[in-house]
Amino acid sequence: MSGTAGLALATRGLRKNYGSRHALDGLNLSVPMGVVYGFLGPNGAGKTTTMRVLTGLVRPDGGTVEVLGKPFKRGDRHRLFDVGALVESPTFYPYLSARANLRELAASGAPVPSKRIEELLDLVGLCDRANDKVQGYSMGMKQRLGIAAALLSDPKLLLLDEPANGLDPAGIVAMRDTLRALAAQGKTVFISSHLLAEVQVMADVVGIIAAGKLVREGPLKELLSMQGVVKVRVRPNLVDAAIKTLQPLAAADRLIESDREEGWLAVHVSADRAEDVNQQLAGAGIFASGLESGTDLEMLFLELTGGQAVGGEGTFVGLGAPTNGSATTGKETAA
Amino acid sequence: MRLFVSGLRKLVRRPASWVTLGLLVGLLVLILIAVGGTASDRVNATREAAAKDLVTFPGAYSRVLQFITGLGGLFAVIYGAAIAGSEWSWGTLKSSVARGESRVRYILISYVSVAVMIGFGLLITFAAGVIAATVGAHLANVSTSGLGDTATLGGLPERLLKGWFAIVEEGALGFTIATLARSQLAGIGVGIAFYFGESFATIFLPDIVRYLPFSVANAALATTSSGTGGGVLGGGVTDVLPPDQALLLVGVWLVGALVVAALFADRAEIAG
Ligand SMILES: Nc1ncnc2c1ncn2[C@@H]1O[C@H](COP(=O)(O)OP(=O)(O)O)[C@@H](O)[C@H]1O
Ligand SMILES: [Mg+2]
Repeated sequence: MSGTAGLALATRGLRKNYGSRHALDGLNLSVPMGVVYGFLGPNGAGKTTTMRVLTGLVRPDGGTVEVLGKPFKRGDRHRLFDVGALVESPTFYPYLSARANLRELAASGAPVPSKRIEELLDLVGLCDRANDKVQGYSMGMKQRLGIAAALLSDPKLLLLDEPANGLDPAGIVAMRDTLRALAAQGKTVFISSHLLAEVQVMADVVGIIAAGKLVREGPLKELLSMQGVVKVRVRPNLVDAAIKTLQPLAAADRLIESDREEGWLAVHVSADRAEDVNQQLAGAGIFASGLESGTDLEMLFLELTGGQAVGGEGTFVGLGAPTNGSATTGKETAA
Repeated sequence: MRLFVSGLRKLVRRPASWVTLGLLVGLLVLILIAVGGTASDRVNATREAAAKDLVTFPGAYSRVLQFITGLGGLFAVIYGAAIAGSEWSWGTLKSSVARGESRVRYILISYVSVAVMIGFGLLITFAAGVIAATVGAHLANVSTSGLGDTATLGGLPERLLKGWFAIVEEGALGFTIATLARSQLAGIGVGIAFYFGESFATIFLPDIVRYLPFSVANAALATTSSGTGGGVLGGGVTDVLPPDQALLLVGVWLVGALVVAALFADRAEIAG
């Protein structure tokens, strides 16, 4: 495999079909060592399927996988001794306690020192309830236990499939701190989510998947700062004039993209320049009937998740966009 | 070894293990004590003799064993199916596979644990049955002098071992069916259907059915002194195989079932 040196996880042209459905359609992931990688995608994008392939639960129909610098093929199960995973939903023996479940799980795969179990119960805050049967656990408690289970063999690579599901806010914060601490120790954390906001607060690197393909990948900071965008809507017959007027504003190497029928134009400038765009248009006698701003990442993700940033009727606001008030995520609409 | 000890520990803590054993022991003890206690109340001498015969040693050893291999076989099918099916229903197989465990090893060692549990269950039930028959004999005013019959006692280890082997084979059928069904409930349902289906099919296809797993298990346990068990539905099976041949086929079915379960698990897509 080319260009995968130094990567904790790499897939090239990964394909997986369920019957006639293409769940993964040539997925190329490059996950560097020692980072928290946010694997973002709408429901049904193929996140869980990717996790299943990476843990040997299902076999890919094509493509290659490298785990911790070595090929991972059928029969390479020992590579998973360095990997911890929580795939889709945590699974346990309901009649056993949390402690007993971890103990029995530790009997398979890589050996685990018994004191590790106590450490993990403490880490996920289940010490008080560790002797209770799992069948009486709430969803969030099971999720905490699932995260502990994924950490059992102190893995170099941690795969977590939507781990925030069911966690309370305190649990989410604790998990975020834990994952950041693991990355600081040089471990690689690969975490999937369908919420940009969730990933934005903890990931170093982000990959966005849609319909089984990677649509964006890169360091979060870069994606957020370089991909500012302001979208304006003008009357369709004024699109050409508007492009001419706005071209000088757009980043040098980026063209203005437009959807002529709808009259939407995407101007690649930092999101806080929405006013400038509006002013420039007005100066040329063109008045916008819609204006939206944000990062390309947000817009892209909203489009993917059905938010329809382009051509939508002001649907940008309040559709799961981050609410943490970061400077790059300003947004406004005008109709 | 780690996996085997863990498998055993999981089974020992599992309520289903104790419910199954409790039912089997409970029924056996209840029957023997009830029969012994009411033997003298029977309306006619033939019935009284039959009731007393049930709790009279050394013959009572055989009767206890027959009960266990008959009803125990059905229970083993259900138990085996429950253990294998729950790995899929609960998704616990998934977690171990994702940890890098070998699917084949996991499946086979799971069943070895089940086989050991069946062995414990057999011994416990047998001991409980012997005690209950002794109590029944006292209630029926029958002598228990036959308890120490050396010829019968000498043959017991071999008969217990064969009984265990046959029950383990029947359990493996349930185990494999539930693995193929990837479900606890479906596995138990289909397992029971197979068990009784085979008994009913004997009526129409005796020359084929006598080679089938539950029939060979019963045939393997037949002794010259007592007739064959014929499962829960009771004997009357005419075309049974000779015990030695049947025993061999029990082994074939056992190995075959486990190979099928292991191969299936190895190839299965765990995407549920
Ligand atoms: N076991 C399965 N059988 C059939 N189709 C499946 C199965 N699992 C997932 N899919 C399909 O594959 C696609 C990707 O699903 P999934 O990987 O679960 O997405 P995500 O985790 O991103 O929500 C979806 O279209 C889904 O319907
Ligand atoms: Mg999913």
